[in-house]
Amino acid sequence: MTRSGLIITESHSGDICVVSLAGRIDSSNANDFMTRLNGLISSGEKSILVDFANVLYLTSAAFRALLVATDEAERSATRFSLCNLASHVRELFEMGGLVDAFTILGSREEALARMG
Amino acid sequence: MVGISIAPAPEQTVNVSLHNELTDLPNVAETLDRVGVDAGIPVGTVMHLQVVLDEVLSNVIKYAWPDGGTHEFFVRIDVRDGGIEVTITDDGRPFNPLAQSPPQPPPPGRCPRPGGVGIQMVKQLVDGFEYVRFDGRNRVTLTKRYSLELPSQPGAER
Repeated sequence: MTRSGLIITESHSGDICVVSLAGRIDSSNANDFMTRLNGLISSGEKSILVDFANVLYLTSAAFRALLVATDEAERSATRFSLCNLASHVRELFEMGGLVDAFTILGSREEALARMG
Repeated sequence: MVGISIAPAPEQTVNVSLHNELTDLPNVAETLDRVGVDAGIPVGTVMHLQVVLDEVLSNVIKYAWPDGGTHEFFVRIDVRDGGIEVTITDDGRPFNPLAQSPPQPPPPGRCPRPGGVGIQMVKQLVDGFEYVRFDGRNRVTLTKRYSLELPSQPGAER
């Protein structure tokens, strides 16, 4: 784990850019996370899938980053989805009242099939 | 720069000092993780406290000293029987995190705005959240109760 507590890895499955996260997303790294997502959108990616499988937890700073990226994606006609939310991570989305603010899919395989 | 001192378990008190820089936050998160492991506090309890602590500390860093400059403030973690208490003290301008507005519903067809999401989460994640202004300081006290998870006994029926 890096000092920032978050590792962001990008890969491609066909035309879909998969962003895999590992660690915690909090105020110390949320801006970097947002910059990374917005960079992918502005670089022309048209389908982005964010994989939360290895996320320990996320704070409201992470939700801000995701909401900003969702707005950017809408403006750029980029499909932007989340997948692989563990139950305790989904619970945080529910507490923030944000489950319906994002396109949340199931496993990575299911998400890739839906987006492909 | 962060200073840490640890008193002996099982009842333990850990004091952390930090500056008004977001880069100091991982030190506090790692300290809370360590306290949780040492005291055998359930992982879910520590995770909820991490989310709340990030919210409170980042608010202090962003709002307590609008004129800028480097300022030190303090986090105290007290582990007691069945509960953990975290106290954050700063000498910045008065700021009551509980007085923040709840999230506003978005305009039709628009995404929700992030404002107020943090405090909405905080209120659900801890059992106690108190704010007092005293002697020119803000003090926020968070409390979270938990039940210890007993390790399985060797030879016990499965």
